[in-house]
Amino acid sequence: MKKFFAALCLVVLACSASFAADTIKIGVVATVTGQNAFGGQLELEGMQLANSLYPEALGKKIELVVVDNKSDKVESATAATRLIENDKVNALIGPYGSGPTMAAGEVAEVAEVVLMGTACTNPLVTEGKKFIYRACFIDPFQGEAAANYSYNKLGYKKAAVLTDVASDYAVGLASFFKSNFTKLGGEIVSDLKYQSGDTDFTAQLTEIINKAPDVIFIPAYFAEGAIIMKQGYEMGNKARFMGGDAMDNPEVVTLGGSAVEGFMHTTFAYDPSMPEMNTEAKAFTEAWVKKYADKAPNANAAMGYDAYVLIYQAILRANSADPKAIRDELEKTTNVATVTGMTSFTTESHDPVKDAGVVEIKGGKKLYVDTIKP
Amino acid sequence: MKIRNSILTFLAVAALGYFLWWASLNLDRYMLRIINLIAINAILGLSLNLIYGMAGMFSLGHAGFMAVGAYVSALLIITSDQKVKMWILEPIAPWLMNLHTSFVVSLILAGLAAAFVGWLISLPVLRLGGDYLGIATLGFSEIIRILIVNLTPITNGSLGLKGIPAHTDLWMSYGCLLVALFFMIRLMKSNFGNVLRAVRDDEIAARTMGIDTFRVRVLAFTLGCFGGGVGGALMGNLITTIDPKMFMITQTYSLLMIVVVGGLGSITGSILGSVLVTTMLEWLRFVENPINFGSIQIPGIPGMRMVIFSVLLIAIIIFRREGIMGTREFSWNWFFRKGGVGR
Repeated sequence: MKKFFAALCLVVLACSASFAADTIKIGVVATVTGQNAFGGQLELEGMQLANSLYPEALGKKIELVVVDNKSDKVESATAATRLIENDKVNALIGPYGSGPTMAAGEVAEVAEVVLMGTACTNPLVTEGKKFIYRACFIDPFQGEAAANYSYNKLGYKKAAVLTDVASDYAVGLASFFKSNFTKLGGEIVSDLKYQSGDTDFTAQLTEIINKAPDVIFIPAYFAEGAIIMKQGYEMGNKARFMGGDAMDNPEVVTLGGSAVEGFMHTTFAYDPSMPEMNTEAKAFTEAWVKKYADKAPNANAAMGYDAYVLIYQAILRANSADPKAIRDELEKTTNVATVTGMTSFTTESHDPVKDAGVVEIKGGKKLYVDTIKP
Repeated sequence: MKIRNSILTFLAVAALGYFLWWASLNLDRYMLRIINLIAINAILGLSLNLIYGMAGMFSLGHAGFMAVGAYVSALLIITSDQKVKMWILEPIAPWLMNLHTSFVVSLILAGLAAAFVGWLISLPVLRLGGDYLGIATLGFSEIIRILIVNLTPITNGSLGLKGIPAHTDLWMSYGCLLVALFFMIRLMKSNFGNVLRAVRDDEIAARTMGIDTFRVRVLAFTLGCFGGGVGGALMGNLITTIDPKMFMITQTYSLLMIVVVGGLGSITGSILGSVLVTTMLEWLRFVENPINFGSIQIPGIPGMRMVIFSVLLIAIIIFRREGIMGTREFSWNWFFRKGGVGR
């Protein structure tokens, strides 16, 4: 046993000594195990794709140092500390989800290293922070966009909302949808709740169907969202379902089958079915199809890719990989082309103002139907 | 003998103090964070061990009491302008707005609040025994979490709290650990400790001896909850942000792991368990990196460390069912007996 451990230790030492010194390191607090692994894995693959397209900056190799966070807050903070202190990374890309990003963000803020959040849409994440940025838009914008689109563009006047109260994302998005929808003159006919992990939504759906809304807004994650739609379909629901970016997953169709036909959701302005893509989105799609032939690219992967690109561009502009120089340049980011539209940051706000996309499921396929300008 | 032991204990505490002082000057933040987490996990492990190991009450509700402590402490020390910015869904309850105390006061109140909730819950629940108790406490801990999710004006609901001042430094967490250790050791050496063991080992016999077993169990449960509340508050102040998702059943499991690996009913065991579980999970990260064996490259598999860690745990449970320490304790007398000196 002792000999075995000694051998193990030797192997570890041999592995850790083999790192070259002349690289730029971007640390990734990745979410590849635990309850959020479905999204975190896609984000990581997006970052790795970006890394293979832009492998070098300032004549140095860029290395992604990946540390898993188990979808856990405490582990996110520890992982970020490890990346900053042990691996001496020049910048960080954040974990999946807002809660873990806030935990890792505090560490990055104290250590004065940039942390670029991926799909953390809770408005609190960047609030009052100097070193925390994010590549995505925030819940208030998405809620407003969804409300505007369904009221003005689709002409819906009566909406029902079914919210997962245990998810910060769902609660935030639902609240901003409701306030904007009523402000426009619409009516929320039913506002019901469930808990993440529930599998039976028939009670809520019965009440919603009785109120006969035009649209049912479900800011859920894709697995639960698909079940809700399936049960609604079986109960003879005629209203249109709408969702948010967390529904943007190819699995929705697999899980929901014909029940998800006509389902619409807002998302980050990218989908492989987009009619007009900017150059970055084209490059991303082509590279993705080449690398992962068996699965379609989605918005999660695009957000991971964008987070990498934003940091990469800032390093190029700063002509330095010093964490503070990266931060200062990031703040000057104006109209940098990313997969999900143009991204800009200002001194006042580290939340980019960017387009939202609308995707509809038609004939069992995701179809990009519209872009909502902020 | 007694004087020798006291001097040695004093020296050990001084050595710990010196180590912390040295560590805070020389070690990087990553190491410091792990050392800090060890202390917090040890406090939480000790408090769960008091309930499960010493008093024999199988409780799966510790995460709930941690949540109470973490929220009470956080709400008391977050500044009021920070509070204004955070409650974006519903306005904050007005009486909460300007509530502010110092960190130490908030820590004590966190413990008291958790103890009070624990006491309330224990009155109906402790009439049950064995697995039923486990299920009932698990249920109550979920109730606490769901209350936190839904009491948005007070707790900010599922959005959680952020911007908690980072008060938990090494001195604070190890100070709390020493206090907890001191009380636990005194408690278990006192007559109450004997009564507790009697109730655990044979409740009917204990009752025949004239012990009010229900009272004893309620007291032990409440004390354990106090520890859970303080530990939760320290945890919240370490990572500066909390949300209800942190306090799910998995949190209880990881504490249970510390207690069972260390040894049910052993104070030393809980400390060792905490050191082992906290450091191993971090140390095992290397197995997830790509490894080069000469020309062969093995790609990193995420989640591998959890597999290896679980295998280690299974090995411990198979070969040492009672955990590392069993019910034994470290003592200076034992130390010298083993060392073969001072007989």
